[in-house]
Amino acid sequence: MQTDMSHYKEILIKGIWRENPVAYQVLGICSALAVTVKMSTAVVMSIALTLVAAFSSLIISSLRRWIPSNIRIIVELTVIASLVIITDEILQAFLYDISKQLSIFVGLIITNCIILGRAEAFAMANNPADSFVDGVANGLGYSMILVAVAFLRELLGSGQFFGFSVIPGFLYDMGFQDMGIMVLAPGAFFIIGLLVWLKNSLPGISHEKR
Amino acid sequence: MSDKKKSFKNSRIYVVMFALGTALVFGVLITSAATMLKEKQLENMALDKKTNLLEAAGLVPEDKKPSPEDIKQIYDTHIRQVYVDSRGRIIKDPANSSLQLYLIHTDQKIQGYIVPITSRGLWGKIHGYMAFEADGETVAGFSIYSHSETPGLGGEIESNWFQENFEGKKILHESGRLVSVGIAKGKVENLPENLQDHYVDGISGATLTGRYLSEGLEETLTKYEPVSVIFRQRQESQAHLKTILEE
Repeated sequence: MQTDMSHYKEILIKGIWRENPVAYQVLGICSALAVTVKMSTAVVMSIALTLVAAFSSLIISSLRRWIPSNIRIIVELTVIASLVIITDEILQAFLYDISKQLSIFVGLIITNCIILGRAEAFAMANNPADSFVDGVANGLGYSMILVAVAFLRELLGSGQFFGFSVIPGFLYDMGFQDMGIMVLAPGAFFIIGLLVWLKNSLPGISHEKR
Repeated sequence: MSDKKKSFKNSRIYVVMFALGTALVFGVLITSAATMLKEKQLENMALDKKTNLLEAAGLVPEDKKPSPEDIKQIYDTHIRQVYVDSRGRIIKDPANSSLQLYLIHTDQKIQGYIVPITSRGLWGKIHGYMAFEADGETVAGFSIYSHSETPGLGGEIESNWFQENFEGKKILHESGRLVSVGIAKGKVENLPENLQDHYVDGISGATLTGRYLSEGLEETLTKYEPVSVIFRQRQESQAHLKTILEE
């Protein structure tokens, strides 16, 4: 049991930090640019992606002994696409406002390379429990970066946090201005680039052995 | 044994059967999810449309979020859906060419009217409502209920600051010509003073969305101009509309 726990912990740390899908593998950048203008959309996107990653890995891993290898990518995509469509339907039924804001990006989870990448690289070769944990870990790793980027972009670009203004008015009177570029795609590129650099240069926890 | 199993797993018949089985199972899953949630989604959409209509008319209390029952109640007391022909007259039997219009009324008096807006956007259609005061030229409110613009950029058209901008704008030039309301590139305060009444602040990073929406507004308002003309001829219109309400 003890070894089991440390085994899962290992998978978690690997997915969330050491081989972080965005900061280390540089996957899923497209949606990380698109939904990080505001915290609220980034958080819902993170939850949706984590759920889809976890359950697609679980299902694919349970089926792995029966999936014929020459159509495995198609089967993987069928599983992922079905889960994404179901997630989208649920959002439309219960979180209508947020679902309107995320619009096409929920559908685009299907093409997010993180999910197919985990299915192909991990779930096809490991048991369902490990795969589920791996999906959660990668989802959380993606979420961490997404939320960090959204926090900085919303704060610097619109002076807000979850839609509430947080920059005091007197700073604007003194000439403070929101950074317009943070609202645009280049702002996200800069922040993601800086985060990748930060993660890979932290001493001791960097993936590069020095 | 394992060799035999492996070859069976990749045999044509097994691959086809597996593909069919997968398609069937996930097809059923998706269909059942969609069917079960359909009612709730349609409810959301209908409610969202009504909420937007009321927002355009400025009838939604701003301090608290109204419940679905509130929305329905306000809608039933203040909004009346009618059809008008191409000359702007209200007709009883809508034909294909007739336009949809919503009248805002309080105690049998017409307060204004709401025009449904359809415009081209950057990625898809933009749908919304524009409310006018009873003078037929002042915008009372504007709201958008469906679009597929980029979240955070063109998607800002559904934010409050953008929609509130439209309040009090005039669609008529001093000379009486229809000029519609345009979305400026940048801030309105940088425009010449005689144009400021006909423009709203633009959204940075969404120039194209703004341009398409400006075009769409102008197109829709041109179509509805006969209605606005009737409203501008005050007394006659009030009398005409009152008979409609009393029915």
